[in-house]
Amino acid sequence: MNRNIDIWFSITQFYSREARYLDDLEFDKWIGLMAPDLRYWMPIVSNRIGRGIGSELTERGHLAHFEDDFESMSNRVKRLATGRAWAETPPGRTNHMVSNVEVDRQEDGLTRVTSKFLIYRSHMETDQEVFSGTRKDVLRADEDTDWKIVDRTIILDHAVLTQKSLGIFF
Amino acid sequence: MEQGAHPHFDHLIDLTKGEINRSIFSDPAIYQQELKQIFARCWLFLGHETQLPEENDFFTAYMGEDPVIVTRHSGGQIGAFLNMCRHRGNRVCRADSGNQRMFTCPFHGWTFANNGNLKTVPGYKQVYHEKLDMESHGLVPVAQIDSYKGMIFATFDASAPSLEDYLGDMAWYLDMAVDRREGGIVFLPGTHKWRIKCNWKFPVDNFIGDSYHGPVSHGSAWESGFEGMPRRKKGYGYEGFQINAGNGHGFGARWAENEEQVYEMALPEFLAYEQDRFPETHARLGDLRGMHLSPMHASIFPNFSMLWQSGNMRVWHPRGVNETEGWSWCFVDNKADQDHRDMVRIHDLQRHGTSGTWEQDDVDNWVQSTLSSRGYVGRQFTQNLSMGMDHEIEDPTSIHPDMRGRVAGFQNEINQRQLYARWAHLMDGDAPVVPGATA
Repeated sequence: MNRNIDIWFSITQFYSREARYLDDLEFDKWIGLMAPDLRYWMPIVSNRIGRGIGSELTERGHLAHFEDDFESMSNRVKRLATGRAWAETPPGRTNHMVSNVEVDRQEDGLTRVTSKFLIYRSHMETDQEVFSGTRKDVLRADEDTDWKIVDRTIILDHAVLTQKSLGIFF
Repeated sequence: MEQGAHPHFDHLIDLTKGEINRSIFSDPAIYQQELKQIFARCWLFLGHETQLPEENDFFTAYMGEDPVIVTRHSGGQIGAFLNMCRHRGNRVCRADSGNQRMFTCPFHGWTFANNGNLKTVPGYKQVYHEKLDMESHGLVPVAQIDSYKGMIFATFDASAPSLEDYLGDMAWYLDMAVDRREGGIVFLPGTHKWRIKCNWKFPVDNFIGDSYHGPVSHGSAWESGFEGMPRRKKGYGYEGFQINAGNGHGFGARWAENEEQVYEMALPEFLAYEQDRFPETHARLGDLRGMHLSPMHASIFPNFSMLWQSGNMRVWHPRGVNETEGWSWCFVDNKADQDHRDMVRIHDLQRHGTSGTWEQDDVDNWVQSTLSSRGYVGRQFTQNLSMGMDHEIEDPTSIHPDMRGRVAGFQNEINQRQLYARWAHLMDGDAPVVPGATA
């Protein structure tokens, strides 16, 4: 019991730190929380009815919003540092809220965690964007950063994105 | 020019100066006219046949602001119908895709077959006293539906020319995407859908001919590991052509002198596939289409766009004068193996669509161009489309005997000028003939 609380506490603190890096535009520190064998994936959700219920998400091999690895996520971060990534020039102001953290399972040195996120982004003058969804992570314990993200599946709730792009990280 | 006072549209587009009036991006009255004169008259892209592999498969789409259901009904035939119950106008289908033989309206239960026929009405005997004409109350079908090598298009205008005539030479050029290999292309499952607060014409304009914005708008992506195709091996990107295929359709392509240069323009990860595909493509399409032209960007009038080499096609749905909904798909050669499909998909989504490192940097430009069309004073100054006006290539067949359409250098706004000329022509033209319309 005590051990579980320690892990849960450690992970929630890790997520708060991760969110702070993103909100403070410290993307180099953020990418430092990713494992070199990272899989970062956001399938597309769509509306289904009847027998289609349950197949709302695109599968591996289908089109996705994100299908990235450590190299491409590092490149996305690199792009932001060029000063000519116009979607973030000037940068948006975000608040990443992460909650409902549940530690699902631990095996083979990997910890599976489900959490919910709500991100508010204000951009330019009056652009307002809200992103809500679920993250399913696979974490690996790490000496330097406590945890590293090995696999992150992000399920965004929006079928038609009301946001002008997915230029932020989740 | 006051808003809402345009009996004629051709004076808003001055092709002698390459100038257009900004009110076409902001005037609500012009937008309403576009829904009628452009979106109810033109052939609009609905999707690809591979999105409906099985009988009774369907997906929903839009034609202008009109929602439609596209179905593969009995016998494998493809149809498209207004997603609107003939009773109260409720949508009979709330799913984005699926497999169903019937659509039951969630409001009062009128039930339609997937060929549009009205099958059952609750209380037909008891409350309608068998007086409702079931036959004339089916889902409203499009006036014409046809496909070009798997690409499904439809129009609500019975008087529109055939799809073949509508696409004209663009169909022949479109083969460079859809007919490079035996078996054509497939659409991968999944559609990016997102809203942009811009007038729908800005992205169409961008894709039809704006090779000029690339190095400035997309430099950050290009430098950070998201290089595009065809690869820019030399210079700023002046080599190649803007080709206007007529009827408001156009595209831009880089030029390869020979087979070697085709490979030079491939990204390293695609080189082996390109080498494997080249002999087949060359045999199918010939020198001009199968070797010399490396197409990059295109728009088919009014609201279809594509990025040929990145495997990306999209539609820009109008959502009011100030808003657009992008729908973006990834396509690959049907013959491509899983490894290649994976590479194309990842290449595409990391550059284009919702999280695309290229795409996101376009958005605010289109939003701000739309905003600047709203101010009274801003609208008194024209939009400039004059680049390369007197520098069309006089005889396109001097480049290659097979060349069709009007041709200019790669950095030239010929395609945008022809886009707006086509727009004005249709806006001033006859109204659509919508069969059965009674209002």
